[in-house]
Amino acid sequence: MPREIITLQAGQCGNSVGSQFWQQLCQEHGISQDGNLEDFATEGGDRKDVFFYQSDDTRYIPRAILLDFEPRVIHGIQTGSYKNIYNPENFYVGKDGVGAGNNWAAGYATGETVHEEIMEMIDREADGSDSLEGFMLLHSIAGGTGSGLGSFLLEKLNDRFPKKLIQTYSVFPDSQSGGDVVVHPYNSLLAMRRLAQNADAVTVLDNGALSRIAADRLHTSEPSFQQTNQLVSTVMSASTAPLRYPGYMHNDLVGIIASLIPTPRCHFLMTSYTPFTGENVEQAKTVRKTTVLDVMRRLLQPKNRMVSTNPGKNSCYISILNVIQGEADPTDVHKSLLRIRERRLATFIPWGPASIQVALTKKSPYIPMSHRVSGLMLANHTGIAALFKRIVAQYDRLRKRNAFLEQYKKEAPFAEGLGEFDEARAVVHDLIAEYEAAEGIDYLDPDAGKEGLGE
Amino acid sequence: MSSSSNNARSSNTHGERRMTVPHLPSSARPRAMSGRDIDNDDDNDEWDAPALRKPRSPKGSTSPRRAVSGPYRSVDGGSNSSRERRAERINVFKKESLIMRTRSPVKSFDDASYRPDKKREKDRSRPGTSHRAAPNSFGAGKRDYEGSQDPWNPQVSLIPHTTAPLAPRITIAPLASDAPQSLQPPHLNQLSLAAQESAMLEDLTFVFMGFEGQYIRFANNYNPSEDKDRLAGPEFRILSGLDPSLRDLTTTMLKMATHYSAIEAFVDVQSREEFGAVNHALCAAIRKILKDYLILVAQIEHQIFTNQNFTLHQLHLYVLPTSRVLSELYSVAHEILRKNSLLEEDLEDSSDEFDDVERVLESLREGGDLGPGNIPGKKICKGGGVLGLLTKRLASMSGDPAARDLLTTLLREASRPYMDMLNEWLHRGGIRDPHGEFLIREQKSIRREKLEEDYTDEYWEKRYTIREQDIPPQLESAKEKVLLAGKYLNVVRECGGVDISKEVKDIPKTFDDPRFLENVNAAYAYANASLLNLLLTTHALPARLRSLKHYFFLDRSDFFSYFLELGASELKKPARGVNVGKLQSLLDLVLRQPGSVAAQDPFKEDVKVQMNEVSLTKWLMRVVSVSGIDQDAPGGGLDSYQAPAALSADEDKNNTGFSALELDYSVPFPLSLVISRKTVLRYQLLFRYLLSLRHLEALLVNCWIDHNMDRSWKHKSSNPRLERWKRRAWTLRARMLVFVQQLLYFSTAEVIEPNWQSLMARLDDGREPGSASTFGSNGNTGSRNGAALVKQPTRTVDELMQDHVDFLDTCLKECMLTNSKLLKIHSKVMTTCTMFATYTAYLSRSLVSADPDLCAGSSPALSSSSSRPGSSAAHSHANNNNNNTNANLNANNAPTYDPHRIDKLMDILVKYEDNFSRHLKILLDALNYYAATETVVLLGLCARLSAATDGGGASAT
Repeated sequence: MPREIITLQAGQCGNSVGSQFWQQLCQEHGISQDGNLEDFATEGGDRKDVFFYQSDDTRYIPRAILLDFEPRVIHGIQTGSYKNIYNPENFYVGKDGVGAGNNWAAGYATGETVHEEIMEMIDREADGSDSLEGFMLLHSIAGGTGSGLGSFLLEKLNDRFPKKLIQTYSVFPDSQSGGDVVVHPYNSLLAMRRLAQNADAVTVLDNGALSRIAADRLHTSEPSFQQTNQLVSTVMSASTAPLRYPGYMHNDLVGIIASLIPTPRCHFLMTSYTPFTGENVEQAKTVRKTTVLDVMRRLLQPKNRMVSTNPGKNSCYISILNVIQGEADPTDVHKSLLRIRERRLATFIPWGPASIQVALTKKSPYIPMSHRVSGLMLANHTGIAALFKRIVAQYDRLRKRNAFLEQYKKEAPFAEGLGEFDEARAVVHDLIAEYEAAEGIDYLDPDAGKEGLGE
Repeated sequence: MSSSSNNARSSNTHGERRMTVPHLPSSARPRAMSGRDIDNDDDNDEWDAPALRKPRSPKGSTSPRRAVSGPYRSVDGGSNSSRERRAERINVFKKESLIMRTRSPVKSFDDASYRPDKKREKDRSRPGTSHRAAPNSFGAGKRDYEGSQDPWNPQVSLIPHTTAPLAPRITIAPLASDAPQSLQPPHLNQLSLAAQESAMLEDLTFVFMGFEGQYIRFANNYNPSEDKDRLAGPEFRILSGLDPSLRDLTTTMLKMATHYSAIEAFVDVQSREEFGAVNHALCAAIRKILKDYLILVAQIEHQIFTNQNFTLHQLHLYVLPTSRVLSELYSVAHEILRKNSLLEEDLEDSSDEFDDVERVLESLREGGDLGPGNIPGKKICKGGGVLGLLTKRLASMSGDPAARDLLTTLLREASRPYMDMLNEWLHRGGIRDPHGEFLIREQKSIRREKLEEDYTDEYWEKRYTIREQDIPPQLESAKEKVLLAGKYLNVVRECGGVDISKEVKDIPKTFDDPRFLENVNAAYAYANASLLNLLLTTHALPARLRSLKHYFFLDRSDFFSYFLELGASELKKPARGVNVGKLQSLLDLVLRQPGSVAAQDPFKEDVKVQMNEVSLTKWLMRVVSVSGIDQDAPGGGLDSYQAPAALSADEDKNNTGFSALELDYSVPFPLSLVISRKTVLRYQLLFRYLLSLRHLEALLVNCWIDHNMDRSWKHKSSNPRLERWKRRAWTLRARMLVFVQQLLYFSTAEVIEPNWQSLMARLDDGREPGSASTFGSNGNTGSRNGAALVKQPTRTVDELMQDHVDFLDTCLKECMLTNSKLLKIHSKVMTTCTMFATYTAYLSRSLVSADPDLCAGSSPALSSSSSRPGSSAAHSHANNNNNNTNANLNANNAPTYDPHRIDKLMDILVKYEDNFSRHLKILLDALNYYAATETVVLLGLCARLSAATDGGGASAT
């Protein structure tokens, strides 16, 4: 069936998020742990073949390719409860079992050496689909494999499938508390360049914000990775819900993304999700009122954003798409939109279409939900530039001290020097400039306001 | 024959008396002629009789008594016999042998007959009989007038059957005034008062039965061969010389005689076939009353003969109540006849206007048979009309107990056949109405097979209609229910849902039954419930509608996107060149994809692809302009405009397959009533509208892909003007995309979906109570009048159909498809967007040549010296490298750098921006206007679309 999406999971973070994601999809579609449909899953109306295909024995198999250079997480998946749903040929584990060691350059270089094997897996999946829509890359940009291999994959995919969409779910390091990888500014910056140049849409998930939200909502002081991953997989499942539960509109990925990204360079998306209730966490199941207006208002609150930024006073939305799941009455939606407009809860760019788009989708009939309506906001916000700035600043601090550069110099990309770092920084700097320019009224026309940045 | 000369004679007398039979002698048949031959001989013998009577008349002896009994018997027997002897003359003789002793009452008097029409009778007398001079021999006994030259030869013959089976078939007797002088009675002056009275009594017995007496004769202007005259009733006149007191008394009673004759003529005429079953039943009832009347006359005769003291006064008292009945009957008959226009001339002009009679005669001669239908342009009052007339009369006469009883009886009897039809219709859904008198008219020519191409709901609307003129007042209030009940039942029956073999019991047979309306209501409730059940449960209407929603509203559009993708190469062609077969197979392929929503739809076989070469806007415009749809009748014009017609197809030559594509959907019979062509047409319109939006969205999304992935767009140019141009192009595309998506969102989520939900809710409303009562009585139709059905389903099938059409009309209206102004602007905006989207490829190419970095001829120096702000040296270096490789790649076919290209591009873009902004603004203004004036829902769209213009103003200035 058409419009398939192939998921690439790279690195430790990507794979754990991915396994959580597939588990969620299976539950939503009523697919059992061995890949067969559950007996109760007769309701239909959902579209499984965007993310799954059926094997000869009618089992549903995810269109997923799992890549990692160190075996730990993938082993966990291969022994986990959903081990049987994956195609065993789609696992790639580094031969020597040694990871990239949190080194972007190592990940990138190793990717280069094994790229034939990986590209063959991707080609096989692509050939198996009737009308491939694009790729979804799950990774983190702080570490070595997800960041390095991910970057490499982005470049390769762009070459090989120039017309296919590439969307990434990129977990950004917790830039405020530093996180557990010291060299994450290096890795992030280098990966950022590929995200800016080679991806069509990047869904930014800030680890710091994720932990904060998880802690906040689940009432735990130290949220586990499993809990934050659940948050991520919820966001992913909600953002793909329009594809999986087709309605009148938004039934392909490009349709969703195209409206969110008016200008190609500003393609970093923030997300909010509400109400977030970990189903295995009792504490989160607080009683709350979930009207459409309530949900849409919550989505606009900064504390629900999965990116921690301190937006400047000029920052504004470029575009917003709200995915409302559940029994939403279109008239309620309309009223809520009017209310939001009235109260100016969302400020938009001064030069382009300023509207909150809404996609109404069904909810999975197989998962009981305590609330009527849930919502996901995909937003293109200029405030994201602050996050990038922080990364650049942290990079600059490290770079000034020339700290930890030895590891990088050993690897192929830096064989000829550290020019790669400078290029990456320039690209990210351009990106920040682009976002800042977009805040101005003179984005399109330098004569429209005061003398603008463009001149 | 001679052996039965007495028989023959009596038959003759009988015949003569009965000669009031209203039939034209013109069409004498051979058989009748032969009968007449025989009679002729006897006639001549018979005319000895007056001689015998001469002594009697003054005395009032017994012989006249017999003579009187003759007519009575003969009338009675006659009607009997005519009932039996449809073709057997022998029977006639037998019957009449009973009255062989009767003397011939002198029915024919020789008068100076100057009446123009008497020649009709004369014509028939045969020259062969003229040698008999019998009348002449008596002429001497009388005052001798010149009449003796004319042989008196009255004849009687059978006339052929008419369509009224009980009507007398004997030719009309000659008028007394035509009789020869010799047969005329003595002048009244010469009689004593007692003799005058007994003569009057005797004459009255004749007259009461519609014959002329000796002294009481038809008025001069009465022509018995004239239907109109007979129906109006003969005017009787008394020969001069009668004592004034007797005269007054007699005259009062003559009225009754007139009525009787008129009623009899009425019965004869109205029981013809074309007058229909109700009239026949009415005539039968009247006949019964007439029989009673004749018995009364017989009793009177008996009194006259046996009671010497019987006086005219007594007679008057005797007949008084009966005369009232007859008078009432007469006026009823009169009214019916007037309705039938049989008497119209009579009313308009006084009866002595001969010209008029002549004229009617003329027209009759030309027209041939004398039937009410032959009077051109006249309508027969039958069926419901008659019943209505009776009811009205009953209401106005309710103060008169006698009249009320009479009319009640008549109404009850007359309504029986009507009730039979009504019950047949109400409980079986069939019509048995050979005379076209029932409330419901069936048009057999409208067949359900034609539903396929029936764009006007003809089958449902026109096959069964109400005869508005012929509604009995009792049914006036329930006529819709009657119509619907039968119509519904008819449909159920066509689908084999009604057990026709079962006899329906316990239903009222006449109009005055108290359960009359209850019967209608119960039948209606039952029919409605069974049809609803048939549609909703047996034929799964909701599932059908859902499947229509899948295909025409694309509520789960994934399959359709895939279809458009697969068929893109085909659909890009001009509409004429599209291979529909190929598209159909592609659609089938898509619909059968496992995992698609459509794959689970059991009705997917019914979807067909077709091409409509008239573009949607053009079509809608024509619809709108044809009917001038206003807010009261959205979509109403669709009825009047059925066929898109190929005549204008030439203008739409450049339509692509995308704009011509439409789906067709076929449904089996009972459902095709609800999902008729009329509604499918609306579905198609909505579908094409959604398709156009969707297609435009796809174009713009493709445009986005180009903008995002194409090298010329992605590359960050060193020329800041070019960069700004790109931003503006992107923004314009984004605005267009937002516009289309908002429009699509509005049409689907805010128009179609809520309306759909409410339609479904109403459908469920109909189902709940309906099914409950249906299943209760489905098993035993006999008890359908039971309490189970008294609680009515809240919904009717017609309401359901109306809801469905309303739903579609509302959608059409709220999608702005019914307003020519909105349509025009909307199509302009759409065209602008489409053109821009299709222009992308050209823009991409131009962009390459406008970008100094990308052109083959561009010098690296130019790009390296880029003045891009904020770009570090390192970055520009990298950029430079990229450019070089790009340039090398492009070396073969890349256009050379054209510095002026950017100006040109800017011009083009500004033109598009202006166009889009301007049209959008007009559209918004129009929307605001219409939202305020008629369609409130559009307000939502305004709010949404205004977002698409935000910032547009800033950029346009």
